[in-house]
Amino acid sequence: MPAQARLPGDKAANKAAASTALLRSLAGGLLIALPVVAIGLLVMAFAPAYLVRIAFAAYVNLLIVLGLQIFMGNSMVANLGQGAFVGIGAYTVAILATPIAMKKMSIPNAPFGLSHIAIDPLAAAGAGLGIAGIVALLTGFVVARVSGEAATILTFSLLMIVHSVFIHWTDLFKGAQAFFGIPQVVSLQTAIALSVAGILLARLFKDSRVGLQLRASAESLLAARAFGVDVVRLRLIAWVVGALFCAAGGILYAYFMGTINARAFHFELVLTTLAMLILGGLRTVSGAVVGCALLSILLEAIRTLENGITIGDWQTPPLLGLSGLAMGGVIVFSMIFRPKGMIPRLEFDEALRHWWGRRRSAGTQTGPETDSTSDGEASKAR
Amino acid sequence: MDYAIQQFVNALAFGAEYALIALGLALVYSIMNLMNFAHGEIIASAGYSMYLAILIGFDSPWLVAPIAVAAGALAAMLFERIAFRPVRHAPATTGLLTAFGVSIVVQNLFTLLVSPRPRAVPVLTGLNQTIFIGPYAISSLQLLELLTVAVAITGLVLFLKRSTLGLAIRAATREFSTVRLMGVRANRVIAAAFALSGLLAGIAAIFIVARRGSIDPDFGFQPVIKAFVACVLGGFGSLGGAVFGGMLLGFLDVAIVILLPQDMGGLSDAITYSIIAALLVWRPDGLLTRRIELGDKEI
Repeated sequence: MPAQARLPGDKAANKAAASTALLRSLAGGLLIALPVVAIGLLVMAFAPAYLVRIAFAAYVNLLIVLGLQIFMGNSMVANLGQGAFVGIGAYTVAILATPIAMKKMSIPNAPFGLSHIAIDPLAAAGAGLGIAGIVALLTGFVVARVSGEAATILTFSLLMIVHSVFIHWTDLFKGAQAFFGIPQVVSLQTAIALSVAGILLARLFKDSRVGLQLRASAESLLAARAFGVDVVRLRLIAWVVGALFCAAGGILYAYFMGTINARAFHFELVLTTLAMLILGGLRTVSGAVVGCALLSILLEAIRTLENGITIGDWQTPPLLGLSGLAMGGVIVFSMIFRPKGMIPRLEFDEALRHWWGRRRSAGTQTGPETDSTSDGEASKAR
Repeated sequence: MDYAIQQFVNALAFGAEYALIALGLALVYSIMNLMNFAHGEIIASAGYSMYLAILIGFDSPWLVAPIAVAAGALAAMLFERIAFRPVRHAPATTGLLTAFGVSIVVQNLFTLLVSPRPRAVPVLTGLNQTIFIGPYAISSLQLLELLTVAVAITGLVLFLKRSTLGLAIRAATREFSTVRLMGVRANRVIAAAFALSGLLAGIAAIFIVARRGSIDPDFGFQPVIKAFVACVLGGFGSLGGAVFGGMLLGFLDVAIVILLPQDMGGLSDAITYSIIAALLVWRPDGLLTRRIELGDKEI
């Protein structure tokens, strides 16, 4: 029997183990967040303005990918509707926080008298999260209880519905035109801070009871139900939390760019964030971060190529569709050759601990180290 | 009364189109548990093949239509061979995402290689004329569509019930390994299913292009989303459910467009989907299936 075998009634030991696990998750999250912060600080210190903007977009994408990971990675249900929540967050903030003078120009006929009020950015952000949460709750009610593939179709329909509302309700959302005048109150620091918080939360969620049971249900629905796991409730929780993350990304985006447009929250966003998560690895938070970083760089390179580059005297023709092709290609090749992504199972800190444990046991030759309950045993039991 | 008849025929025609596309989706899903997101690109391939045929010089609709159907079947088999065979035994999510990726790749290939802008395909618009049956004016295209779909479905049912390959396909939807034990090659059965699905998609493409008069890189995508929803509505995996869901969706669509005031027209999709979501809360497995308990062995 493992050295840490606990009697079921040993409440104090359980509590101690739980808090160790919590601290471990937090530490793991901080480790994953470290390169994110480092890159951000470098960009802030040395990069020209256009690079700052690109980096900011990458951080926004990171938040969205994290939200995607929370739902998709734990429940293994493909989610194609993240653009809807990003848009809801962004537009709520745009409508509520834009100064009244601007609003009278862009949306003079807004219903509910919204063109006459303007609230402060923080409150508007809260409202954005709140509304996204409500929509997530209502839609999650359906998404959580249908089977996995049907749920995916419904998330896609959600994307289409929300997009069509944005485009057609021009009185409120300005349709396909840009909604300008949003107060630009955030900077790269906020983005970095929010990303770190997001990584920690995603990691905590994954290692929490909800996350663990959800992942179990993804492996075998029948067994999980037999254990009394309420899969519908768990999926709902993951869906709402993921949606809040996406809305936060949208809010950040709106407050940085100062102007938003419904097309930014449609297919391209869904495709990019999906490709990032799949490339990096669905099941791990580290995978989300790695995928986001890699594809942000790749996407920038491809976008420059798409617009045509000039090498000396020679101008390459614009190749519209190249970025979409690349994203789709990334998804297809990842699915065929490495479906679990680049970081399939072990988070950074788990891998480190695993490697450290193996080195130590190889050095002392006393057999597998009983380093912890979870990591060593679980990864061997697989 | 005129209006009612016209809208009724409208609903039938739309329903028939959704049913056709949904059937293709259900065929593939019932065999392979694969949600073929790339079905829209099979339709688009058929459309683009018509465009190319016109460029080469084929002028008559009777020449171009069979080309579209054949192109649909070929494209479907190509997708299967290249992209779906490697993920055949992977979990359903992987297959779905692969199909999504394939869809995006092909759409962008069309954008890159042909044009991001719509291209006119006028050869088929000659079919879209108003004819008069008694005192009522009906579009000839819609009649043709209804007829064709009826024939196609009958043909499909006959094929599935009478031919050996059809029997193998039906058996494969229940228990694939046993089919292989009986000596039927898995690749052949799956390729046949995809070819059938592509055939149906090609037929649908003909009517979609005839109505629109033009093609662009993502014109297959939109109807396929609706068709997916129709499949979910009828119960994913059952062919009858797909047809039922398609017809129901057609009627729902037309009803909502009629009932909505003019300026809210863009929201018709949103309302349709909301109604469907409500129906799904009531019957998560689809309207036609009885509630299956997890762990039930009998289908």
